[in-house]
Amino acid sequence: MKVNGGRRRVLAAIPALAGAPWIARYAHAQGADLGAYQSAKVNWRQAEGETITVAVIPAGYFNALEAITPEFEALTGVRVRYDKVPPGQIRQKAILDLTAKSGTYATHAADPMYYDLYVSNRWIEPIENYLGDSKLTDTAWYRADDIIPAWRGANSVGGKLYGVPFDGESTLQIYRKDLYDAKGVKAAETFDEVVRNAKAVHDPDNRVWGAALRGFKGAGQNMYIYPSIFRAFGGEWFSGGAIRVNSREGVAALEWYVELLGKYAPPAVRNWNWPDLADAFSQSTLGLYIDANTSASVLNNPERSRVLGKIGYARWPKGPSGKRVSSIWNWGFPVNAALSDKAKRATWLFIAWATSAETQARTSWKNKGTVKRLGLNRLSLWRSKEFAGLAGGLGANFLQASIESMQNDLDVDWRPKMPQWPAVGETMATAIQGALVGQQKPKEALDEAQARIAQILKG
Amino acid sequence: MPRPAAGREERRFALALFLPAFLLLVATTTLPLLYLVWSSTQRIDLTMPWLSGFAGLENYAKLGADARFWQSLQLTLVYTGATVVLQVAIGLGLALLVMQVRSGQALLRIAAILPIVLAPVVAGLFWRSLVLAPDFGIVDFLTRALGLGSYNWLGDPQLALVSVIAIHTWQWTPFAFLVLLASLAALPPELYEAARLDRAGPWQRFRHITLPMIRPAIVIVVILRMVTALSAFAAIFAATGGGPGSATEILNLYAYRLSFTELNIGYGSAVATVLLLITLSVAFLLFGLRRAR
Repeated sequence: MKVNGGRRRVLAAIPALAGAPWIARYAHAQGADLGAYQSAKVNWRQAEGETITVAVIPAGYFNALEAITPEFEALTGVRVRYDKVPPGQIRQKAILDLTAKSGTYATHAADPMYYDLYVSNRWIEPIENYLGDSKLTDTAWYRADDIIPAWRGANSVGGKLYGVPFDGESTLQIYRKDLYDAKGVKAAETFDEVVRNAKAVHDPDNRVWGAALRGFKGAGQNMYIYPSIFRAFGGEWFSGGAIRVNSREGVAALEWYVELLGKYAPPAVRNWNWPDLADAFSQSTLGLYIDANTSASVLNNPERSRVLGKIGYARWPKGPSGKRVSSIWNWGFPVNAALSDKAKRATWLFIAWATSAETQARTSWKNKGTVKRLGLNRLSLWRSKEFAGLAGGLGANFLQASIESMQNDLDVDWRPKMPQWPAVGETMATAIQGALVGQQKPKEALDEAQARIAQILKG
Repeated sequence: MPRPAAGREERRFALALFLPAFLLLVATTTLPLLYLVWSSTQRIDLTMPWLSGFAGLENYAKLGADARFWQSLQLTLVYTGATVVLQVAIGLGLALLVMQVRSGQALLRIAAILPIVLAPVVAGLFWRSLVLAPDFGIVDFLTRALGLGSYNWLGDPQLALVSVIAIHTWQWTPFAFLVLLASLAALPPELYEAARLDRAGPWQRFRHITLPMIRPAIVIVVILRMVTALSAFAAIFAATGGGPGSATEILNLYAYRLSFTELNIGYGSAVATVLLLITLSVAFLLFGLRRAR
């Protein structure tokens, strides 16, 4: 009897132990002020008791969200579990879950280019279902229209929104203001000036290279930069309803890319993704690179950066077509169609909470942690005084270039929106790298990509 | 009478020991393989779900016109041939050399095991970021110190192929070395005594005694290494991702890319099935050769 009693006591203690971390998180949330959310005319507790799993990538901006998630749990009674999947695998894991219709991930950090694929398989639901339901959304409080329009456009299929942008970026010229000033050049306004500036500061003997761009193969790497060049050269992805990647403009754009990297970039650049570029720039070895504005926080890390106070930012230069074209990137949250109704409501409440102006602020300047997010999803926040205080120290012209870029340079047709994007993007990435390393001439590489894409689309 | 009963009991006991492992193997290897073959006869392209259905041999028929497939096949053959020849040649050379070492053989054997115990993906990353990286890598440091200049080992199409062959050879030569060393150590010294008395030179002794005697070991090494090389994936994936362009994209990587990046699972399965058939036929052929002697 004695033994039994002991075991029973141990068994009784197990759930208590398992619940302990949650209790600790809950206790943390007790102190938080939920008034800003409770002013919304919506019943936050309508999905109480539900547990949802959210797949995100291991990144500071999602960590900041995770850190204040106990507030959401206290507000709604919905429990949230995060599954951190590296960026290289999150698309595949999400697709695996969506094809199996297992509903493992209630929502996940989604790539804008994948919505066409998701929607053609009916794996996710239109956000309108939730935005338009007054029981689920207080439109006056949520202000969906405030979310950066081009990001919403990028996450839409057939005019319908399928994923709410949580965090995003635009691409900017990031340059060494001190080197530019010393040579008497200004941030490039045209593509020719990019080459001219690169030439002016290029000094490989002293370990300074004129310019660099992502060269690594991948839909999210070199095929993240090339589309901006392609569109700025006047390229159109579709002609007569069919995709066309080897147009005259496409070839000219790739030739420019190949020439710039071939002449003025460190030799290893063809295998570089953005962290490699940010490292090289931080180590004071690059005059210019064009990449995400959110890298600014990495470049200003006082422990690792040797270029503090020497950084300048500018919008993309104008291409031969007269257009400046930034990337449209955001991590959005869609609603998995395989969920139960109650879980869908819980998921929507989570998405509405995470993408609301208040949570965006709480993960940015209001955040007590070390990471203060930059990629906020609303222009009103970008223009706020508080955010300006945060962004002011990042380098010359950061805030203005970012805002102008997000207002004017976002182009919804930046990349070809189509369900076959995973195959098309990969094919293009391979072709671009083939040209960058000199395996093929730009024209040959694009002709081959065109032939292969035609074959893929035939099925 | 007791003997057959005991035999039956023995058999039953053997079966009981054997079944769990067998069922586990069926569940984890045979069933997925059958599923792979089944998928290869289907049209499963997640990016075009409206086309899904039975495809018969259509996926295989498409291979004929797919230039990337033929390029990958060619790369697979070059990669496999080169890595196996290098492993056996270097492994045998090292083994012969180490046989001459009187003391400290055990230490050398331990050192040889080190690359093998690394996960291939770690080997790939290690080579990519520490050994072959331009400017920072060990190899680049050496070539520059020797006045040979700086090379972009993983960024140049030809050099990248050489590099991934080098990575695989580096990691797996110790295996060939250890097996061959063991079989050299087992050779009877009397034969060599006799050969010396007959005034056979070192080359003759190697050619007519050593090689024939360790032939079975060499064949086993070749078979095992070929099968591993044909199914190599992680080290290349980590070092070059099949690039630059498609310069190091062997069949395995191509099948992976088709299925999991381009999401054309039916066609990707067909490519994987072809690789499976190639691997099986190579293994059967070599085992046949071994038996013929």
